[in-house]
Amino acid sequence: MTRLSVPMTAAILLLPGAGYLALLFGLPLVLAVLASFGVLTRGYDGGPTLAFYAELFGTRAYVDGLVFSTYLALVPTAVSLMISVPLAVLLAQSFPGRRLFTALNKVPLVVPGIVAAFIVMTLFDRGGTAARVLAPLGLDLPKLVRDDWAIGAVMATVWKTVPFMTLIVGGAMASINRDVVLAARTLGAGPVATFWQIQIPLALPGITAATLLSFIGGMGAFAVPNLLGPVYPLPLSVHMYVNAFERANWGLVAAMGTTLSAISCVVLLAYYRVTRGLRAAGGAR
Amino acid sequence: MSQSAEGVQIAKAGPRHGLVAADGRWITMGLGVATLLTLGLPLIVTALWSLMNPASGWFAPDILPPSLARAHWREALSDRTIPGAFLTSLLIGVCVTVLTAVLALPPAYALAKLPFRAKRAVELFVLAPLIVPGIIVAVGIGSLFFRLGLVYTIPGVILVQTIGTLPFMIRILAATIEGVPDDILHAARSLGAGPLQVARHILVPVAGPGFLAGGLLTFISSFEEFEKTFIIGAPFVQTLPVILWTYLGGRVIVFPTAAVVTFLLLAPMLLIFFLAERVLRDDVLAAGMGKV
Amino acid sequence: MAELSLTSIRKTFGDATAVETLDLSIANGEFLTLLGPSGCGKTTILRMIAGIAMPDAGEIRIGGRRVDGLPPEGRNVGLVFQSYALFPHMTVAANVGFGLKMRKVPRREAEDRIAAALDLVDLGRFAARYPRELSGGQQQRVALARALVTEPDLLLLDEPLSNLDAKLRDQLREDLRRLQERLRVTTLYVTHDQSEAMALSDRILVMRAGRIVEEGAPEALYRRPRTRFAAEFLGQTNVVRLIRRDGMAMLPWGEAMPDAQSDSAYVSIRPEDIALRPDPHGPGRITACTFLGPTVEYRVELAERSLRVRQTGSGTVLLTEGTGVALSLLVTPHPLAEGMA
Repeated sequence: MTRLSVPMTAAILLLPGAGYLALLFGLPLVLAVLASFGVLTRGYDGGPTLAFYAELFGTRAYVDGLVFSTYLALVPTAVSLMISVPLAVLLAQSFPGRRLFTALNKVPLVVPGIVAAFIVMTLFDRGGTAARVLAPLGLDLPKLVRDDWAIGAVMATVWKTVPFMTLIVGGAMASINRDVVLAARTLGAGPVATFWQIQIPLALPGITAATLLSFIGGMGAFAVPNLLGPVYPLPLSVHMYVNAFERANWGLVAAMGTTLSAISCVVLLAYYRVTRGLRAAGGAR
Repeated sequence: MSQSAEGVQIAKAGPRHGLVAADGRWITMGLGVATLLTLGLPLIVTALWSLMNPASGWFAPDILPPSLARAHWREALSDRTIPGAFLTSLLIGVCVTVLTAVLALPPAYALAKLPFRAKRAVELFVLAPLIVPGIIVAVGIGSLFFRLGLVYTIPGVILVQTIGTLPFMIRILAATIEGVPDDILHAARSLGAGPLQVARHILVPVAGPGFLAGGLLTFISSFEEFEKTFIIGAPFVQTLPVILWTYLGGRVIVFPTAAVVTFLLLAPMLLIFFLAERVLRDDVLAAGMGKV
Repeated sequence: MAELSLTSIRKTFGDATAVETLDLSIANGEFLTLLGPSGCGKTTILRMIAGIAMPDAGEIRIGGRRVDGLPPEGRNVGLVFQSYALFPHMTVAANVGFGLKMRKVPRREAEDRIAAALDLVDLGRFAARYPRELSGGQQQRVALARALVTEPDLLLLDEPLSNLDAKLRDQLREDLRRLQERLRVTTLYVTHDQSEAMALSDRILVMRAGRIVEEGAPEALYRRPRTRFAAEFLGQTNVVRLIRRDGMAMLPWGEAMPDAQSDSAYVSIRPEDIALRPDPHGPGRITACTFLGPTVEYRVELAERSLRVRQTGSGTVLLTEGTGVALSLLVTPHPLAEGMA
């Protein structure tokens, strides 16, 4: 048997996975970008055009939808971050039942977003459990489901995102050499200074990765804002679905998808900027 | 210098300090309350909704339903739709897991063990589906699948879900394989094992837990997947999340039936989750999801 | 700089006792080494002094001030870790300056002190580098500068040379000794390497299983160990049972033991303290000969046991296997207070 060269072997081994993704992910994505400019657009043969972008940015509902999608990416990410980092630190301490709580924390990871939405409905909708519990105390809950600020949608998203972020941030913190943390203590840093000056900077690659993935998930959120969000504006993802499968306006759909992907790419580049210094310093894992 | 006589016990003097001031019991109590509110309470309320007695109803201001019955469970399980959706979900989950594993293993090995140029670029490309929102993937592939006649079919749903599960699987497998020392693979080769025998006798057993974790995670994420399935499959391919959507998103919201579906969705997830708690280690999960 | 004292310190991990109740003190400016095999509790003692492990009982004082209730940042000790534990996200200068920043030392003064500390370890040119851009030996010196720049009362070193290759280790060992003699900082050094311990220390404590077995200055401990454990841990030795005959103590090859008033049954004889002479009728026979360059190691078979003998390698005619030899002592061996334990 003749031996294959290493690059050849690598290429053959990479083929199934990478080929699959190239065909079913890369190709449609390229086609979508082309379609958004009127090239090979399904149901349109008028030649290259910017008309679909003009339609997207010229329609009030779509622009509001884009802003709303960004809101749904930013707010739950920020809230989750504020909960996850302290929670990760807490779960790293030794306390009775630590194993149990670490396991329970991961449960929402396997719960579908729609179930999270359902839970928020049963608890916080008008006449939900929370309202019934608070009513005898004379307290009235503000509108939390289908409200203008999409608080219900934010709650459901945060509930799904916190365990995911805690896991990644906790992993990043756990991978910090324990001696490095102790060295800071012997050099005169208290627990708080050690946390901010040593642990957070060294866990930053993990923290930013979790932030990035949560942000991108929010940009494309579909089911949860659809069930819990306000009637207007609708997130861009919902407009995409409606225009694709109810109006067959594929050029506009492609323009929306390209715009959302472009925003994700910008955030990704920002992520690389933030973590590059740390990678260079060898702080990244 | 001698050892002090008879091991005199000196009482602890001065305030003891841990490296963190918090007392362990307070952490347990705080987390206990938080877990009860965010996990326990929703589960109980969902259980109550699924057991609501349709004869007496459950209306405000009642905090608890006035009476319980199994009516909704009986109705949901005797109807064809819900058990059918459960079986569809199961079938799709198994197929996606097998397809993902077969597609992921060779590239994972190449990424973990072979030196080649443009490795970083391949890594990024493999991760790209995580960075593009699922809705865009699904709608983008929608127009392609229309031409191929795969829209509204189970194979179409399997193919589109695999786009989402493949990156995780490649990542987890690559991280696991990377953890197998080169030396033991080389030792096996020098003892006369061929590449496939090394894979069978050394690589798979040693990396087994990681493989199992990757497979379980793939199954879980297929079972709970909604958006891509909904866009490519609905309304003809009905998985449990799609059914749940129709109960919650329609004009009439059917809480009790939705609650039953929720439990049917959660039960296998939680069962796998707690049975495999040892396998689904934090570092394996983080390897799949962390670091972009 | 200050003296250190531990009184009745004890530490257990679950059921396992890491450190049996023990006392220990270091004089101002002294270089003390804890020497022992891994798992003997020496690192635990160092970590308790630094405040990153808590003793179950006992008192720790630095310069008379009781510190065992204080967190690590309140103790003013400098600790050099085996892994160096440099901050990977900070430059060399920032690493060294970290302790000064925590003590709110004014910037100008801090810069001068960082520069002085880096000069001290001969790393002035590397101030702007990141740790991963340095070699192991350079990282080790950064760790040392970082621990010394705050002028700690006490310098603690946890196997600081064990991750370096042999040549570099010798070099850094000398540097370390010179530095300590110059700064006269009270130093506690932890190692399992007896040559490091002898080269560096004013005094050595030999530890085993959470207890101090024996202590002394390097030379005394090497030449006149009281315990078999210390004798065997500090280099190679032959522990030999004396044969009593007619009120005389005899060595295994029949030579009478000089001034054997002690009724101890055992003596420790270093391999280099035995002379060999080829003699076909001698009591010993060479069974192995290893040429090591500076020295030659022999294994000599006697009637009941075998001995290790070392001779200088320069100009010696090697004795081949099977050669019969006569043995004689070069120095009076020291009786062991403790027998086979």
